[in-house]
Amino acid sequence: MVMRHKRLLSTACTVFTAGLTVGLAASLSACSSGAAQPSNLVTVSSNQCGGAWSVQGPGWHTFQIDNQSTGGGEIDLIDPANGAIYAEVENTGPGTITPMRLNLGSGTYAFMCNFNDFDTQVGAKVTVGGHAKGTPAILPVSYNDTIPYAKKYQAYAEAGLKVLARETATLAADVRAGDFTAAKKDWLTAHLQYQTLGAAYGTFGDYDGEIDGDANAAGANSPDWTGFYRLEYGLWHGQSAKELTPVAATLDKNVKALLAWWPAQQIPLSDVGLRTHEVLENALQFQLTGNDDYGSGTTLATTLANIQGTRYLLSLLRPLLVPRYAGLPAVYSGLGRLQSLIEKEHRPNGMWVPVSALPASARQAIDAACGAVLQSLAPIASITEPRNIANDF
Amino acid sequence: MTSEPQEPSAAEPAPEPAGPPPGRRSFLRGLAGGVAGGVVAGGAGGAAAGYFSRSAPPAPAAADAAALTGRLPAVPFHGKHQASILPGPTPVTAVVSFDVTAGDQASLTDLFQTLTDRARFLTAGGTPPPVGISGPPPDSGVLGPTVAPDGLTVTLGVGATLFDDRYGLASARPARLTTMTSFPNDNLDPAQCGGDLIVQLRAGSMDTVLHALRDIAKNTRGGMQINWRIDGFASPARPAGTVPRNLLGFMDGIANPSVTSAHDMNSLVWVQPGAAGEPSWTTGGSYFVVRLIRMLVEFWDRVDVFEQETMIGRRRDSGFPLDAASIHATPNFATDPTGDVIPLTAHIRLANPRTSATEPSRILRRGWNYDRGIDEVGDLDMGLIFTCFQQDIDRQFKAVQTRLIDEPLVDYISPFGGGYFLALPGVTGPSDYYGRALLA
Repeated sequence: MVMRHKRLLSTACTVFTAGLTVGLAASLSACSSGAAQPSNLVTVSSNQCGGAWSVQGPGWHTFQIDNQSTGGGEIDLIDPANGAIYAEVENTGPGTITPMRLNLGSGTYAFMCNFNDFDTQVGAKVTVGGHAKGTPAILPVSYNDTIPYAKKYQAYAEAGLKVLARETATLAADVRAGDFTAAKKDWLTAHLQYQTLGAAYGTFGDYDGEIDGDANAAGANSPDWTGFYRLEYGLWHGQSAKELTPVAATLDKNVKALLAWWPAQQIPLSDVGLRTHEVLENALQFQLTGNDDYGSGTTLATTLANIQGTRYLLSLLRPLLVPRYAGLPAVYSGLGRLQSLIEKEHRPNGMWVPVSALPASARQAIDAACGAVLQSLAPIASITEPRNIANDF
Repeated sequence: MTSEPQEPSAAEPAPEPAGPPPGRRSFLRGLAGGVAGGVVAGGAGGAAAGYFSRSAPPAPAAADAAALTGRLPAVPFHGKHQASILPGPTPVTAVVSFDVTAGDQASLTDLFQTLTDRARFLTAGGTPPPVGISGPPPDSGVLGPTVAPDGLTVTLGVGATLFDDRYGLASARPARLTTMTSFPNDNLDPAQCGGDLIVQLRAGSMDTVLHALRDIAKNTRGGMQINWRIDGFASPARPAGTVPRNLLGFMDGIANPSVTSAHDMNSLVWVQPGAAGEPSWTTGGSYFVVRLIRMLVEFWDRVDVFEQETMIGRRRDSGFPLDAASIHATPNFATDPTGDVIPLTAHIRLANPRTSATEPSRILRRGWNYDRGIDEVGDLDMGLIFTCFQQDIDRQFKAVQTRLIDEPLVDYISPFGGGYFLALPGVTGPSDYYGRALLA
């Protein structure tokens, strides 16, 4: 709820009448009772961060964050002892009022204001008395905290791409030689290698579309469709070595181009946290549905590779997560369950079962396990998102 | 499958349920009625159960509140029976079949407890707690920051397949529960039949139903997986004061046992204590039959109205039996033994012959219309979500359906899905949960 350019008068009743919306109606009865109430309007700007404020006691409370600065900012309610964050309002626009709602427990609170181009400010410390339990605070992760993980991920992906480049070279040679038995085997090896890299949603820029794009946009007969899936389609649909040789060569060339491009890229620091669920979101959307099965029937193997990639990302973030996320053990047990359900479908002869050929109960179990682990992975991006922290913690 | 703690509605004055745009009117309502949450929670909940039901019309206060907010009042969740079984159709519903994917009986219990917690919260409404920076919001936000109850009810039923060897429940199987029978003229699609569990959500608006479905699915992720689902709606009565129509254009569900008659409900709907062969945990439950019935409306619309009326046994415009002059008149089949007025094969005559011998086969019938796109030849895929409650499927639904075999109407309808379930006994209080007596 954002009200733009609405100047608010000083008394609570006027404010709430003017701005009566669902989110504000909580204060309506206080207003209508006619009794004087402490204002929950919190003014923030480049030179003040909440001013003097008070609450009557513990319990559910909605602050109205009134941004009177000339620029955007992020406002947090923190524990001033250690900088742990109780509640956060991001991207407040100048002249806007944004609600911040939480259950205030007994403890000490302060607003922290980060306006673009200004130093971080921490406002007055306010103590809420009693022995009430409220919304818990989480220690924020700083930009500095995440830099080493982003660097490690970059090195991991670079090493993985080097392996991949050797594999796509072998694959291109198989296709050129017309050895499709070897080509099919090497195609799977290389594709799974790519899928362990933990990339999703633009990590590899336009290269991902060229290396691993599906046929949807271009159509299966389009010369613009390139990459692993294009080659899979040809290998498993009886296309000739002559037709597929340039396809495999282009794949190999694009992998090498990605390898050359990648080390110089600056990875957004929030990416590692985001990818912890996005990689498996993609697996559910494209692999477990069978959408990206162009003939090899190996989308379960791809999902396993995605689990491996997710496990790597989690291993990076583990030091940040252990003190902050009580659901972490459930993430690992969920990944283990999903992995074992998929491995059960790996035939003794090494063949994979296409998802469309799974018995209904096995498919339901896999889909359910994937949904469950995604649910438990979801908080990680929020928890590990790099945040501004005040210097004095 | 952990359940988020919810802030009860009473923890702070509840914001207005989403409804009319803010303005002076809302402000006055806040003053006059306390807060809307109070109206909702304290409204005549029993009356809500009578929404669209002839036998218990909504109390004026609740009706006013619903009219003002565009939302229905809360239906109390706790009780000996599930609160959703007796009320007439709400404007919208979703019927969703799930298979249980929980690994063992402890996880199954966890699943049922989570289902209970979610249903308890969603039917009462309230404000989901903010989570700060610790994760994505716990609620989809589809109903705005405060969840309005909107007459939501949740019906939970168990299918025969839950009593296989997975959870050690084989010996607890309800005596009259089987998988669904295929009748002559059925065209059942296995992918749209059966299920370990059935969840029917009903409410005043589709957003309320879909919000509840997303909430339940999210909080039970890993424990159960959707098998098939269908959404439905109940039409307004046209003309007002009559009975809602199905998509054949006929009023539907006119003759039903009286939900306010304890005798009728105890002899027709609720599983009774000590019922022959029934495990004791089923007492207070009700067998729940769901049949998904396509109506071949293009074909039907090419049939003249007299032929339509003799197939049904009622006038299309008025809903009157062909031998009477009011909707709720009892057709007098005894004085028409050769079917000169109401043919012997008319739907209403076969379904309910109105004899003392067929009295025990009566069912509590609830129908919703469905509409979901087109078929392979471009005809409209629409029809009826037939549901009924009873205490014995053989004695009731199957007996009725057996009488209906080869009725003339079968050419215009095609049953394609559904299942047989036992709607569990009610959740009796805050410490009870669905299926406690089954799982304990």
